[in-house]
Amino acid sequence: MTAVTIDRVEKRFGAVRAVAGVTLEIRHGEFFTLLGPSGCGKTTLLRTVAGFADLDAGQIRFGERRIDTLPPHRRNTGMVFQNYAIFPNLTVAGNVAYGLKARSMPAAAIAERVAAALRLVHLDGYDERWPHQLSGGQLQRVAIARALVIEPEVLLLDEPLSNLDAKLRVEMRGEIRELQQKLGITALYVTHDQEEALAISDRIAVMRGGALEQVGPPASIYARPATPFVAEFMGTTNLIAGKIAEALGGRIRIAAGGIVLEAQAQGHAAGAAVMASLRPETLRLLPPGETPPSGWARLEATVARVELLGALTRVELATQAGMPLKLAMLDLPPQQVAPGKTVALAYDPARVAVFAAP
Amino acid sequence: MIALKPRSAFPLAVALIAFLFLGLFLLYPVFTIFKAGFLDPAGNFTLANYVNILSRSFYQASLGNSLEIGALATLTTTALGVPLAFCLARLPVPGKALILVLAALPLVLPSFVGAYALVLMFGRAGVVTRFLRDLGIPFGSIYGTPGLVAVYTLTLYPYVVLPTLAAFKAVDVSIEEAGQNLGASRWRVFRTVILPVVIPSVLSGALLVFMETLENFGVPFVLAEDKPILAVEAYKLFVGEVSANPSSAGVLALVLVLCTTTALLLQRHYLARRRFATGARAAPPELRPSRPWRILATGYSWGVVLAALVPFFGVLVISFLEYRGPVLQGNLSLGNFAELMNRSTRPLENTVLLATAAAIGAAALGVPIGYVLTRFRSGIAHVLDVVAMMPFAVAGTVLGIGLVISYNSGWVILTGGPIIMVLAYMVRKLPFNVRASSAILHQLDPSLEEASINLGVSPARTFFRLTVPLMLGGIVGGMVLTWVTVASELSSTIVLYSGPWATMTVVMFEALEGTGAGIAAAAAAVLILATAVPLLLVYRLLRRYELAVM
Repeated sequence: MTAVTIDRVEKRFGAVRAVAGVTLEIRHGEFFTLLGPSGCGKTTLLRTVAGFADLDAGQIRFGERRIDTLPPHRRNTGMVFQNYAIFPNLTVAGNVAYGLKARSMPAAAIAERVAAALRLVHLDGYDERWPHQLSGGQLQRVAIARALVIEPEVLLLDEPLSNLDAKLRVEMRGEIRELQQKLGITALYVTHDQEEALAISDRIAVMRGGALEQVGPPASIYARPATPFVAEFMGTTNLIAGKIAEALGGRIRIAAGGIVLEAQAQGHAAGAAVMASLRPETLRLLPPGETPPSGWARLEATVARVELLGALTRVELATQAGMPLKLAMLDLPPQQVAPGKTVALAYDPARVAVFAAP
Repeated sequence: MIALKPRSAFPLAVALIAFLFLGLFLLYPVFTIFKAGFLDPAGNFTLANYVNILSRSFYQASLGNSLEIGALATLTTTALGVPLAFCLARLPVPGKALILVLAALPLVLPSFVGAYALVLMFGRAGVVTRFLRDLGIPFGSIYGTPGLVAVYTLTLYPYVVLPTLAAFKAVDVSIEEAGQNLGASRWRVFRTVILPVVIPSVLSGALLVFMETLENFGVPFVLAEDKPILAVEAYKLFVGEVSANPSSAGVLALVLVLCTTTALLLQRHYLARRRFATGARAAPPELRPSRPWRILATGYSWGVVLAALVPFFGVLVISFLEYRGPVLQGNLSLGNFAELMNRSTRPLENTVLLATAAAIGAAALGVPIGYVLTRFRSGIAHVLDVVAMMPFAVAGTVLGIGLVISYNSGWVILTGGPIIMVLAYMVRKLPFNVRASSAILHQLDPSLEEASINLGVSPARTFFRLTVPLMLGGIVGGMVLTWVTVASELSSTIVLYSGPWATMTVVMFEALEGTGAGIAAAAAAVLILATAVPLLLVYRLLRRYELAVM
């Protein structure tokens, strides 16, 4: 039932602006992720919402209610910590009941809610276990049950999956997403893993140096990055510096490293220095003798290296002028892709993102 | 770190209580003594007391002796302790675990019992002295500087060994390997990498030794004889002063506090610039020296540790021998204990009662302060950090005298009762309790407390409901250490006790001046058992929380 408004929030540590005037609207029931490299301020921003870091300026509101003036124990947020922070002196049930006891709930109601919460995270029957008897994944579930059982207005998750092994991480992120959808709770999630963010979020805010770099749904953040930083941070890409050779309506041509790159973008004048991002999987190998789909542009390049990753194959190429290009394709490469061979490539100009050169 | 709002009441309340307590029972009394030094009998400002005392060669000598003996003892302690720490850290010495237990004992056993045991054995009428004399072997005097330095070395060497050992172990094996890989010899690596990392720990231990010798009262009282020592002379002046205003004692107290404060500030200043982050993941391996070296290391380690305990064993043995008056007979007897208990069991009860009250009080005060220091980053925490360490710089005798002249008249009269003694112990043990609780807290993940607060429990309730239960093992261990050191406390007790509230240490102190050597030995034996047994009971707890009397 809660939208979260982060309004010009500022948090400094000495001379460092950990959060530099961030404004965000998180909708009710939304799964919102703060994504960025370490030191970008994402965890600090989450902690200002929880109340563990004071604001130097700005406001935070849940709905219409201002909460940054409340002490952390009155904010009714449920937080899942990176290292779970399971109380070692309490059983599983004791951990989950902790917040309910703080709210002076009658014992019978507590027992009922604890049982329901443990069922929700598939830990029925673990009530009387001690934390040291549980695995990492189970501790994680206890942490989630403990945060959810108090029916918080907002669920806060601080890199909750970073201590799990790769396989469990994928499994748990699916479960967290499912739970959030089922309960319809507003969730604020912090991670440095772009794949995790893409998989789980309704919207993502990419942060850098305490400020927001881009906010949007996963698909647009990935496919239409607003800055070169976002383009690179969200996954491998070909980042190409060049000059606008021609701009006709939405269609532009960029001269870069001896080739001409086509793109669809507005607001770029001829002669301007720009950067373009072209994801490796949007470059397609054109079988000999075939023509590209209509509207697509083509390129020629020489294969330098082929890297087989199983489901995926990565190919490094070079244009005639020596500009490196990366290409990725599903499955094994066809025969003509071998080092030294020249191949024809095609791409959809609509998939090229263009930024003013920094 | 839990960065709570400035308006969060909990740290503020803790700081207020701490300031109030230390203000009333440390700062005000110390200030009163200083003031006394600047007043003439009519209550006017004067420097005459300073001129009078400091111009007398006797008191100049007392300052010189204190500093000289302190410096000598610091040197010998370091010379003895550093090789021992190295043996225990890096050489194959059998029975290391036991050595570590035994090495910690001298710190908690009353040093003054050690000195007294030395007198019983090697003094003028000592058991060993007479035995040797009967054999015709002359034996030199243990009184004065040699005896004092010997006792300090044997009782205070753990102050150097424990931090140095930890430092040797904190040098990660890969650092040593990196040094060798880059072409440095073993000795070069030791000199250029290991030693610089270890030296701050050695020095911090050495300075503790120095401060301890300056403030120690019991050991020089037993062993110094006619050699004037600052802490003893301040006490004698205070006891002997006829006027209500202890102006002369005030002068010496100020000198003593200046010395200890200088040492403390030097230590803080030095350490502040030399903190090496040494989170060793793999402690360096034991060296495999040749057989003679191994035997030497083993002999040295066991030799030092056992030699330090000889006086205490000696007292235990002597306490079971029969005395007729001051003359020792050769046969076993429980007579000394019977006589001790026949006189009165009150001192033993007093010791137990006062030490228990002080241990509870010091923990109740020290644990919240340690919590605020460790978990809250704010101006108050920094001030609290400095204030909570101040009792270190005030010798027990000085604190005792200050408390007496501050609370023997006026609105609050505390002298003559047990409360003032408990208060003095609480003040003296506060730095240890604060440090111990922050050591325990460093092993507790702060996100546990954040999780509790996030779930709706206020910071103050989180502290009492979650943090304290999680710290409990460490707190109990710390309380036992406090209990044990209070039970063997003499320097402020001797100033503050009144007739019915005499403790075991007072009984021993009085027996020293009379002829009750047997009773004193029995009292010492009781005290040794009363301190060693609880220590051994909680030894595992102390190891787990890495607590030591520091």
